Amino acid sequence: MALMINEICVNCAACEPECPNGAISAGDPVYVIDPDKCTECVGYFAESQCIDVCPVECIVPNPQRVETREQLQRKFEQLLTADS
Amino acid sequence: MNTTVPTGPLTKKDFESDQDVRWCPGCGDYMVLAAVQKLLPSLGIARENFVFLSGIGCSSRFPYYMNTYGMHSIHGRAPAIACGLKLARPELSVWVVTGDGDALAIGGNHFIHAMRRNIDVKIILLNNGIYGLTKGQYSPTSEQGKKTKSTPMGSIDRPFNPVALALGAGASFVARTVDNDLAHMSQVLARAAAHKGTAFIEVLQNCMVFNDGAYRAITDKTTRDDARLVLEHGKAMVFGKEKDRAIRLCGFEPQVVHLGKTPVAPSELLVHDERAPHVTLAWLLAQLQGPQFPLPLGIFRAVVEATHDELNTQLHEQARASKGQRDLQHLLGSGDTWTIEPSAARSAAWL
Repeated sequence: MALMINEICVNCAACEPECPNGAISAGDPVYVIDPDKCTECVGYFAESQCIDVCPVECIVPNPQRVETREQLQRKFEQLLTADS
Repeated sequence: MNTTVPTGPLTKKDFESDQDVRWCPGCGDYMVLAAVQKLLPSLGIARENFVFLSGIGCSSRFPYYMNTYGMHSIHGRAPAIACGLKLARPELSVWVVTGDGDALAIGGNHFIHAMRRNIDVKIILLNNGIYGLTKGQYSPTSEQGKKTKSTPMGSIDRPFNPVALALGAGASFVARTVDNDLAHMSQVLARAAAHKGTAFIEVLQNCMVFNDGAYRAITDKTTRDDARLVLEHGKAMVFGKEKDRAIRLCGFEPQVVHLGKTPVAPSELLVHDERAPHVTLAWLLAQLQGPQFPLPLGIFRAVVEATHDELNTQLHEQARASKGQRDLQHLLGSGDTWTIEPSAARSAAWL
């Protein structure tokens, strides 16, 4: 499933540059993850980079976007195709 | 610096500078920056009329990140520079961002005098209870017993209570908020912005690296409702997750009462009055802290008093009315003056 940022976020932006999909941006009141772009880093890394770097542990699975690893892999491939 | 001049209504983006924010990841300062940048467009003040001043410390990097005028000034002296600026340019909206070291250690003197003068500047104190920029020494707000690099066996100093200090120095607006409650912080900042006179806001701010969890009891979702008392003007001081506890006074002693367990009439509960002309209630609230009491957050005091900049303008007008418009040359040549004759000067040189 895609990830999301909850209200514990302090707007420190540590996650933004780590996202290989460019899914993270500043929002109001806290940073947001675009679920259409988030693959939990499937295709790039073994671990979700934003979760690894977040100092306040505010990045959690998005219950609105339940996806299997295979679906995330397909999303990754689609994003690559869209980019190229 | 970003030099684009906004044409339409201002937005948060208009107050974000092009500088990379260099606080540690997870620092509470980010929240304060976001709250301030969000507030300013709503104030109806042109961007060029905002000034952010700071001293030295992590908090004092604030002006770099604001797309306004600003100055990262001398350690502890930002209130003095703010006072000078406000007197010279009363039409500006002047803000000071400081920390517990900058405002209460090296800048203690400037801090209290800004409070007593009631000059129309806003002072935000980011209180993380530690010296973060110098990598973790105890600060004037570190609690007794705190072990730091400079107090390896625990601090023996009694800490300052910034709210009590500001009240004691005569501040007309004193508030406390916490970094991870954006809604509360935004309300408090908006009230401070609207206040005429020195507005002091203490923000309890977490330092992830050197003092992590210092305010956990009042920031953690599971404990905060029981550990904090949110002050609301005209309302009884009720708190707790179940809203089942309140503060009452027994003589001069505050007490926590359990509303379900203790028979207590609503009239016995302490009611907040931020506009009380006497400072007693605000002072009493400033003394409350855990674990015996909840920590009060909100506006302790907001009273209307003549501001230093208004009085200064009046003084100038009175002087002009009674003495006429004078210039510096007139001042230098007036009063107790004398002339040194060239011959006398030569004799003096001989001696």
